[in-house]
Formats: sequence, structure tokens, C-alpha cells
Amino acid sequence: MTFAIETRDLSYRAGADFSLRDVGLHVPAGAVYGFLGPNGSGKTTTIRLLLGMLRPRGGTIAVLGRHVPRELPAILAMTGYVPERPHLYPHLSVREAMRFHAGFYPGFEGAYAEELLATFALPAERRLSRLSKGEMGKLHVLLVLAQRPELLVLDEPTDGLDPVVRRDVLSALLGFCSQRQATVFISSHLVHELERICDWVGVLDAGRLVAEMPMQEFKNGIKRIRVARAPAGVAGAPFVLLARETLPAEESWVVRGWDAPMAEWFAAAGADVREVEDLDLEEGFVELLRSSRVAAA
Amino acid sequence: MYRQILHALWSGLRLPVALLALVAFALPLLMVTYGANLPGAPAGEVADWLFAAQQIGVLIPGLALVAGVLVGLGAWMHDHAGKHVYALSLPVSRERYVWLRFAAGATLLLAPVLALGAGALLATLSVRLPSGVHAYPLSLTGRFLMATLVCYAIFFAIAISTRRAAVAVLGVICGLLLADLLLAAVGVQASVTPTVFMWLTNWPGPLAILVGRWALFDV
Repeated sequence: MTFAIETRDLSYRAGADFSLRDVGLHVPAGAVYGFLGPNGSGKTTTIRLLLGMLRPRGGTIAVLGRHVPRELPAILAMTGYVPERPHLYPHLSVREAMRFHAGFYPGFEGAYAEELLATFALPAERRLSRLSKGEMGKLHVLLVLAQRPELLVLDEPTDGLDPVVRRDVLSALLGFCSQRQATVFISSHLVHELERICDWVGVLDAGRLVAEMPMQEFKNGIKRIRVARAPAGVAGAPFVLLARETLPAEESWVVRGWDAPMAEWFAAAGADVREVEDLDLEEGFVELLRSSRVAAA
Repeated sequence: MYRQILHALWSGLRLPVALLALVAFALPLLMVTYGANLPGAPAGEVADWLFAAQQIGVLIPGLALVAGVLVGLGAWMHDHAGKHVYALSLPVSRERYVWLRFAAGATLLLAPVLALGAGALLATLSVRLPSGVHAYPLSLTGRFLMATLVCYAIFFAIAISTRRAAVAVLGVICGLLLADLLLAAVGVQASVTPTVFMWLTNWPGPLAILVGRWALFDV
């Protein structure tokens, strides 16, 4: 498998309160990779490290097979980045901002940009300082899509947008991906939003990557099971126990990597699996974070 | 890329730059306002007129400073507001981007410089000078260009610097003033700040271009 983004032992420190530790990301080429994590977990910092805006304390970063920061201009020429808070030059009009952006990207497709301008219903002659937050978000997505990148890095691109704008933006992104087979690295704390569009997921919490797997595995592999006569220990279990809770007559376990034949392990331990419940992505995400925090403590 | 940056800068600063150009054009014309009948004027009157022209000339380095500050700080204003994120995401090296911005800002400054040149030329052509008095429109324009670029370069560098660097510069200035206070307190007859100021404003100090005579007309 070739990776559009690959980091090894990536570390960064920002003051005394926050650090990224040993982050090892593997974003497959052509994937839509959801980068999940609560607010303040280090998603934006990781993205800024990937794009060479910050210098890591340790570790290596490769984007599109090239070294960061040594080959940064070449990487950025093939990468479209939508920051968390888009900030373009406010005195420019929408069309001037398009011209400005196009000047830096030889592959910028003016016709496609015009098409997106109409799709997003953006006022071409309006100054950016007079655009709404939703319009600003759409404009930034327009700019990066029209530059025809191989990699799209989107930092909470729909945060704070109304549902209509959010749907416009996401459908434009998905349309682009299906046409171009580009890799998308999209960060968000809105789990349900990523559930629909991503095929890989990485979960960051307090500066540590706590999980990275195909979305299907993430969705199907995390279960809540109700166990009677639950064993005290889980040594040799073929799954990962994320959480356990004692109920009046049984225990509720949240496990990762569950597969139906694994019930035999409980039977061998003298326990009885009474119910296996699918968790939606958000519940799975919460349980994953909870268990990683318990482990870290 | 240069064209795009220049256009973006022009869109943001066109009003103040146009105003600067207007003032730059007007200053040399002001110098000749009262000099219409000079060839036949008595020597004292010519001297008065030259003195008045020189007084107006003092405003020219001030204008260079204002232009340098305005364009130097304006060149980075919006990037600072966005924490430079957009600029850093563009596919050019940081050094090249800085040079492109510097060049674009310097190009904008040509507007007041050319305006001053045009004003100086027009002023020169509009007055018949008495014998022994000469006009120096080109050297005045060249000097204004240099002074503007020096001021621009200084404030461009200050504007792009990190907060830490800005604090360091402020720290040095405060340190100099504090040193003077301490020296005065212990009765030592020496002062640091005026010495540093003299060093900066006397050749080969970087601000030497701003001081001295700024005369369009001289003997």
C-alpha cells in the first residue's frame, strides 16, 4: 500500500501544556481519511506539521512521497489546504481572490472555478470582508478544488456552517474525489459527518494517535456486549476490551475487534454472552477515547 | 506571483498611496509658490525664498518616513491577522514569498516617488531662477527614493518579525533609555541614547539619508 501521508514518531511541543507524542499516521493514497479527535486534541497542530508550517521536535513526515520540509514547495503545489478559519485578503473581491490563488498554481482550472462559483452561488464581485462565514468556507473549498490537487487537507471545513452549506461543501468534495481519485485528509470532531464520507479513520486524543483503521472495521468492530458471569481478567482475549461496567445481573463490555466466533472465548471462560449490540460511530468514538484516557492515566 | 501580490497590495493600500503621491507631487510646487519674480528680486528676497523652500523641503524626509511605515506595515497587516496560514500554504518557499512581497511594496512606493519627481520637474520649469541658483529635481527625487526604501525596509522587517523579535527591539530601546537614567542618577556626564541616535543618523548610519538639506533649489 502506498501512503499519501506517512509520519513516524512525530513529536511536537507547544508550551508546557500540550505536546504531540509519537504520532504515526498512515494515510493510504486515494483514501478519504477522517482525522477524528475532540477539541484541543492536536488535530490542527498535526495538520500544520504535515504542511511544514510548524517544525516538529522529532520524527519524520512524508507527504505524497516527498520529505517535509525539504521538498515543501513541491508538496504544497499538489496539496489543497482548507484551514480551520479561512483567512484570505479581506479587501479582495471573490474574483480577485480566485485570480490571486490561480497565480500560484499553474494547474488552476478557471473554467472549473467558474462552475463552482455558480454551484456555490458566490457573489463574484463582493469583497471578502463582506462574505458570510459560510460563503468564506465555500470560497476556500472552491479555490482548493480548482487547483486540482492530488491531496486535500481539510481542517474542520464544515465547522460552524449551516446544514445547507455543509451539504454543498461535502458534495463538492465527494464529487471531486470520485473524479480525480485524490486523497482527502479531513479533520473533524463531528463524528457522524465523517461516518458518511470516510473510508479510513484515525483518532487523536491529547496528542496521541489512539487508533487508526479502515472505517468499516471501526464501525463494525466496536460492540457493546452483555455478559453474564463475566471473567475477572481478559488475558488471551481475541479482542480489545475498551470498557466494562457492572450491572445488577451482568456486565456490559465495550470491545474493539469483535467477531462473532469470539463468543467461544467467553464460553471457555464460563461466561455467557447474552447480547451483542452495534455501537454507532459516535458511541464507538467516545468509548475509544474513554478507554485510552483510562489507559493513559 | 509577483503580479498577484502587487495587485493584492495595491487593492489594500491604493487610497493611502494615492494620497501620498498627491502630497509628494504638491510639495515641490509649494516650494516655488512665492518665487514667481525671482530673476529681478533683491538678494535678500532670494535668500528668504530659498529659506522658505528649504523649510518645505524638511517635510520630504517626513513623507518618506510616512510612506515607508505605511507600506512596510501594510504589506503584512492581513497576513498577521490570519497568522500567515494562507501565505504558508502557498507553494513557494518562505524566502521567495518574502522577497516577492518586498518587491511588490517597493513597486507601490514608486507612485509617490514618481509623483515627487514630476512635481519637482514641474516646479523647476515653472520658475525662472536668478543666476547662481540651481534646481536639482533629479537628485531630490533620487534621494527621496532612497529614503523611502530605507524606511520601508526597516518597517517591513519590523512588521514581519515575530512578537519575540519586536519585544527584543523594544527591550533594546528601553534599555538605552534606562542606561541614560542610570548614568544621570550616578552623575556620569555621558548619554547613550543621543550617541546611538547620532550613530544612526550620521554617515554611514542607515538613517543618514533622512537628515541634511532637502533642497530643490540651491546655490
